[in-house]
Amino acid sequence: MGIIIENPGILTTVQDEGRFGYQQFGVSPAGPMDTKSFRLANILVGNDRGEGALEMTFQGAAIRFEEENIVAVTGADMSPHIDGQPVPMYQAVKIPAGALLTFGMTNGNGCRAYIAFAGGLDIAPVMGSKSTLMRNELGGMDGRKLEKGDRIGFAASKNTLPDMQLRKLKPEIFQKMELTLRVVRGPQDYEFTEEECRNFFWYGAKITNEFDRMGCRLEREEPLHHIGDGNIITDGISFGSIQVPPNGQPIIMLADRQSTGGYTKIGSVISVDLPKLVQSMAGYKVRFIEVSIELAQDLYVRQTEEFDRLDDRLNGKR
Amino acid sequence: MEAKFLISGDTAISVQLGDEISLDVNQKVRGLLSELTKNPVTGVTEMVPTYASLMVHYKPQVIRFGGLKGEIEKRLKSLEGVKDEGGIVKEIPICYGGELGPDLEDCARFEDVSVEEFIRMHSEHEYYTYMLGFAPGHAYAARFEELFHFKRRESPRVKIAGQSIVAQLNLSNLIPFPQPCGWNIVGGTPLTICDYSKEDPFLVHAGDWIKYIPVSQREYEKIRSDVQKGTYRVKTYTKRAEGGVK
Repeated sequence: MGIIIENPGILTTVQDEGRFGYQQFGVSPAGPMDTKSFRLANILVGNDRGEGALEMTFQGAAIRFEEENIVAVTGADMSPHIDGQPVPMYQAVKIPAGALLTFGMTNGNGCRAYIAFAGGLDIAPVMGSKSTLMRNELGGMDGRKLEKGDRIGFAASKNTLPDMQLRKLKPEIFQKMELTLRVVRGPQDYEFTEEECRNFFWYGAKITNEFDRMGCRLEREEPLHHIGDGNIITDGISFGSIQVPPNGQPIIMLADRQSTGGYTKIGSVISVDLPKLVQSMAGYKVRFIEVSIELAQDLYVRQTEEFDRLDDRLNGKR
Repeated sequence: MEAKFLISGDTAISVQLGDEISLDVNQKVRGLLSELTKNPVTGVTEMVPTYASLMVHYKPQVIRFGGLKGEIEKRLKSLEGVKDEGGIVKEIPICYGGELGPDLEDCARFEDVSVEEFIRMHSEHEYYTYMLGFAPGHAYAARFEELFHFKRRESPRVKIAGQSIVAQLNLSNLIPFPQPCGWNIVGGTPLTICDYSKEDPFLVHAGDWIKYIPVSQREYEKIRSDVQKGTYRVKTYTKRAEGGVK
């Protein structure tokens, strides 16, 4: 027993940390777009922080609980309610059996929300992961987004967790209209002149509506110019890689990115700034600031240690 | 070329080992992959070989860029003098022409040879799988003899069938799932190129060699039914090492 989807919302999928180890076979890792909100939701309900959860986009779902369980909702504010009563976000909340948990449109604070369920979801892993990769009909719920009537079991539901009153965090306020993203240069910044690299950082770009789980296309007033033709011998892509195809308009590669690609990559958005980007919307302006790999990794490690401390405090594990 | 260590964000490093698509360079990539598999670096989460680079994904909380670069440099040193050990050749049945290979006759015409001669040119040589990418199990493979002259079609197709085998120049790719494609389709294989339900879902791995075996429509259907029953075994043989120290 677990949940029944009464209304799936616009795009709701099962995602765990991601499908790693198969990029060498051409399989995209998928996983959550906003890794921070995703991890916090899992830690709040005492799960392993990479456990499978639901990711909802723009407009959330209506979910009937067949069985009592504890959940945490993080990320975008889609005004969660249980049977008409508001539900606090960023907090472990008990949902009684029979209750209907509903979400609406985002109120503008972010666009992707996460629900983690204590004990996790009973979804059979494919290639070691519960993540859904819709493009290849792989993983999650038959490789697709959730539909009305889908039923997902709980792996090990809980009716209580230790220190329920401590399982609470300050909700995130996502940046609106204008974002600043920090970038480390490479791997192919040498395909651009120094002046063109400076232009990339000096002049911002606009987020277009070609923005999905695979990538985010930007529009610059003046396209970037390559030294060559913008193509390279195909190499690997990572989460946050900024591809610049021959047309000079950058694409930031996200969760469902292809594992390899043949366009120049001028830089990568640093890991701790990716949640800001994936919670933003078409029309927002983006500016890039260059940082060193050392700083990017210091920030990454600091964030991981914050997750460790929270996990330690709430769940007594490392 | 000296190895280049290119920063690909704060969780990946792209080790570039050459600046051309060649068997020599790709064998270096395979060599480094195999060395890092035998003598792993703690903190490395996965590795993705491509034509001329090895992408190494890692956890910065375990090892930083500088530390990982040093570890990879050590392993590159121990690579010198590694011998080419040949490889596995997988036999892939292919039914040329008809509905499975709608562009076969056009391709023969582009090359100004008969259809029979075109099939011989395409199937007589072994192909090397440089890498997998684009879609799960999608193999980028090339032969080194009797290259074709034609490239892509003038206008790409919006959707081609899974199990199609497409060709241009010296390249011939296996298409696992329906996808848009601008290449010419010369035939189809009765084998499933990617099957998520199998323990090893992928028919071909990077570094494998491929030999196409022409089959008739009737043989194609027989093999297809054996594949669906789960009784078909892919035939393989060992490629003779070209010898020498790379």
